[in-house]
Amino acid sequence: MKKYILIFLTLFLVFSCKTPKLYVSKVEASLTEIKNQTPLNEFEEVIAPYRNKMEKEVNTVLTYTPTTISRRDGKLESSLSNLMADMCYEQANPVFLNRTGKDIDFAMFNYDGLRSDIQKGNITVGNAFELMPFENTLLVLALSGEKMEELIQYLIAEKRAHPVSKQFRLLIKENSYNLTINNIPFDAKKTYYVLTSDYLQGGGDNMNFFKNPIKIIDIDYKLRASIIDYFSKKESITTQLDGRITAE
Amino acid sequence: MKRRDFITKTTAATALLTLNNLEILAAPKIKTKHITIIHSNDVHSNIDPFNSDHPRYPNLGGTARRAAYVNSVRNENPNMLLLDAGDMFQGTPYFNYFGGELEFKLMSMMKYDAATIGNHEFDNGIDGILAQLPNAKFDLVSANYDFSNTVLDTFVKPYKIFNVDNVKIGVFGLGVKLEGLVDKKMYKETVYLDPIEIAQDMTRILKENEKCDLIICLSHLGYYYKATPEVVSDLNLASKTKDIDLIIGGHSHTFLQKPTITKNIEGKNVLVNQVGRDGVNMGRIDFYFDTLKNKTHKAERIIII
Repeated sequence: MKKYILIFLTLFLVFSCKTPKLYVSKVEASLTEIKNQTPLNEFEEVIAPYRNKMEKEVNTVLTYTPTTISRRDGKLESSLSNLMADMCYEQANPVFLNRTGKDIDFAMFNYDGLRSDIQKGNITVGNAFELMPFENTLLVLALSGEKMEELIQYLIAEKRAHPVSKQFRLLIKENSYNLTINNIPFDAKKTYYVLTSDYLQGGGDNMNFFKNPIKIIDIDYKLRASIIDYFSKKESITTQLDGRITAE
Repeated sequence: MKRRDFITKTTAATALLTLNNLEILAAPKIKTKHITIIHSNDVHSNIDPFNSDHPRYPNLGGTARRAAYVNSVRNENPNMLLLDAGDMFQGTPYFNYFGGELEFKLMSMMKYDAATIGNHEFDNGIDGILAQLPNAKFDLVSANYDFSNTVLDTFVKPYKIFNVDNVKIGVFGLGVKLEGLVDKKMYKETVYLDPIEIAQDMTRILKENEKCDLIICLSHLGYYYKATPEVVSDLNLASKTKDIDLIIGGHSHTFLQKPTITKNIEGKNVLVNQVGRDGVNMGRIDFYFDTLKNKTHKAERIIII
């Protein structure tokens, strides 16, 4: 009898208890490289029509360049840096002028933002994506003379081919500099309108002089869109080094 | 508790019950469970494998191969969760042309269970996320983005509880600060809330109210910022919270060969993992459970293969 009560009690306890609490007793971890797995056909079949459509668009020829446009063919400038700043300026200035009645003084971007050279031959939509894969937007910043001074010191200290447009001509001397913008000597009392990207305005690449400008004018123009528009309207692209930034 | 003890006790218990001819009581014998977590982060629209001439990842990645890997694990252990820590979007023209449609469709085919929202998910604006939701058969979880004044209101939940083989698993998401990283025009009225405070709320809900057996955080905060250690990161999050078992990270594109084992605010172990970028790796964590209260998560019980 005693035995049965025990069994009953045990059964009662078992069934009245909730699911027993779980405790982690062991953990294992591993990393798998995605390389040698056999691709699943049902996935390839879904991807194929998208890939075909995309490749067709990406391979659309916009223009032509007789020479490779490189990031590395100069020291303080490069043909790709110059092209980048000049084409964005050319595309953005009419928009800005139309909205504000003012001209942009010059354009400036960052060297590391040039993501890929353009090989000689046809230039495609894909080239524009490779050059500018990000969804950055063009902004015009009203910069004080003080911030301009920081910008100049940044260029002098960096010694890299950061893209600046042709209006900006800087001669770096041993302990000083000469700067003209649109052939007019730099005036520290003037406000300058500088074209750049939202990324750099936010302090990207430590261009902190763009961080708190007098004014930010958003022209609602994506950087890549301006590149594609420029390529689309040109029969061919010519670039050159013109000594816009030089050091003595 | 050593494994030897574990086996000995199980055998003894079974023997005793058999002797008493009480097969009905076989139920209370020690239960064991095995849950597998597979995870990715920062896949960045890399649908196709990299070309053989790619400077860093030649021939690596590709969704159809990742799917094959996931299937093989699923066949081995159907009790699994497939999770992503954000930045599924942006990085190849697939995103520029199709806005994330293919990324979400393929993730749904792979049977992803949940993903969190990375900063690049906003690249076509908050409306761009909403537009792609019909293609996602998995949940987007984000606890520290308050979407209540946006089009995503009610579409994104702070957490989701999965019941896998009667193991209750709570998964919540955390996103990175958007200001300065994403154009305000893109994220609109999304409000970024403090990730640490929100994580403390989440673990209270998931542990104390919901009694989850396992808590996983999908974080797009970044692993750790050496130059600015005060910036919130996965390692900071781990040390300032409790009851999180695993943080699956993203954003910093950190390639960890194995998960980092770190301590939470109570001195208990937390695993932090991240598998780089572009879908060139997948991470796997296996949790084994039993009903013995043999203190869990001791460092020596964590075996890294």
